[in-house]
Amino acid sequence: MREGSAIAAGLALCALASVAMTASPVRAADDKYPDWRGAWGRFVVRGLGGQPSFDQTKPWGLGQQAPLTAEYQKILEDSIADQAKGGQGNFVEHAQCLPAGMPFMMVATRPLEFVVTPDTTYILVGGSDHYRRIFTDGREWPKEIEPSYSGYSIGHWIDADGSGRFTVLEAETRGPFKGRRAYDASGLPLHYDNESVFKEHLHQDKRDSNILHDEITVFDHALTRPWSVDKKYLRRSEAHPDWVEAYCTEGTAMVFIGKVGYWVSADGNLMPIRKDQPPPDLKYFKQAPR
Amino acid sequence: MWHRGWWLAAVLAATLAATSVRAADDKYPRWQGQWVAIVTAGLEGRQFKFDPTRSRGLAQQAPLTAEYQKVLSQSMAEQANGGLGNYPTARCLPGGMPRMMATQRQEYVITPETTYILLGGEDPLRRIYTDGRDWPADLEPAYQGYTIGAWREPDAQGRYTVLVAETRGFKGPRAYDSSGLPLAFDNQSVFRERFHLDRDNPDVLHDEITVIDHALTRPWSVDKTFRRSPNPRPRWNETSCVEGNNQVVIGKENYFLSADGDLMPTRKDQPPPDLKYFKPAR
Repeated sequence: MREGSAIAAGLALCALASVAMTASPVRAADDKYPDWRGAWGRFVVRGLGGQPSFDQTKPWGLGQQAPLTAEYQKILEDSIADQAKGGQGNFVEHAQCLPAGMPFMMVATRPLEFVVTPDTTYILVGGSDHYRRIFTDGREWPKEIEPSYSGYSIGHWIDADGSGRFTVLEAETRGPFKGRRAYDASGLPLHYDNESVFKEHLHQDKRDSNILHDEITVFDHALTRPWSVDKKYLRRSEAHPDWVEAYCTEGTAMVFIGKVGYWVSADGNLMPIRKDQPPPDLKYFKQAPR
Repeated sequence: MWHRGWWLAAVLAATLAATSVRAADDKYPRWQGQWVAIVTAGLEGRQFKFDPTRSRGLAQQAPLTAEYQKVLSQSMAEQANGGLGNYPTARCLPGGMPRMMATQRQEYVITPETTYILLGGEDPLRRIYTDGRDWPADLEPAYQGYTIGAWREPDAQGRYTVLVAETRGFKGPRAYDSSGLPLAFDNQSVFRERFHLDRDNPDVLHDEITVIDHALTRPWSVDKTFRRSPNPRPRWNETSCVEGNNQVVIGKENYFLSADGDLMPTRKDQPPPDLKYFKPAR
């Protein structure tokens, strides 16, 4: 009788376990991978001011104290000077709504979403920078990589604490990149040769699973040494995050004719963006401008 | 004996649990890979067509109301004259639904809570929520809309095979294709979709879409199909509409950008832009 009762109890447990697993499909199989679901917003250090920066603990632009070569320090200073006059400086391409690419796309202007699958981790960005794919299927670097703003990323998962679960995603991102790319809106430059390499170490904070770290090291010919920062993201509490559609091309009041930017006025006409800016060349039109 | 009973029960539980895990993994269909839109060869117009078996524009034979048939005719007439017509995507604004589902290369990432459709260009991504949520009280208007779906197991084999989805809540203007074939400007379209693999060919994916829209005299249904690339590691090229776009829109006028970076007219005798805000040359 006791054996029969035990089997009956065991079967009841079985049934419960089976129901629980059916009710939460894939979760058991997914236990190998970390739970990075949700919306991850940019970590903001209060009081820094300015635009979002690569090193979140320091102000943008010169305040980043990037280890730039003298040549690229001058590009940054010229960019800031141009922006002070109304220009876009070395940020002109993103101002034209081209993708910003790596590493600016990881600034999290809007919250990021991480979709972890065994073969690929997707980082959904939005705006002009759509998403990243970090391939974790064991592939080798392709012989030919199509140039892109986001680069080509290969990663692998590490069970860093021997718990039987992956906790760290290590990734390397290579070009050839497209560009000019900048770390932030000041135009803080990456090298125009577009040969940057990024090494990342993505993991949740040991004490707070709602903090995600992206420790990024940049290798770039505009730098005198590799530049490492620890970017942090905070998981938002909403069960159903609001993934707002955002498009750079919508509602922008800037228009570019060649590389030169102008404002479009409320009445739909071109306006200069800086003092004494000359008008565009209208040599292809028969009629004289009004 | 008592212990033997528990041991037997434990073995049974472990076996069932292991089966459950596998079953759970197998519960969702395998839609991995790169899906390439199937478009009937030889048709006029570029790939972005709602009904991929017909040419764009008038040839789509959309069941438009008389009012919106006129919008289409005017759009095509304007385009013949160098204008953009009713096609905002020419300015690199998002195409939204349903144009985005004609994107040539697509990836489907299925999780229990959400199916992601990764596209590119001006319409990068759709999220189809399958977590059982209700429609939000306030939908933020979007070109792609807001999509809630549910998995179906029509053949009762213990596996989901069909994803049904409904999409609401739009911004506009939107057009089905580059002719400017319009959706109603009230942006109240509703899309019902049924995604499933072909019964005879698991490398063909169907997206049966029905559009319910006030520009139509009746719901309009098409069966869009996609073929899975045989390449297990396909190329995913980054695409940006802005890159290489030579249209410049100033107010309500559009111009071309010449190779030397200057404005050019898009139609005969088009006046140049008004330069009243610039200081006259000395």
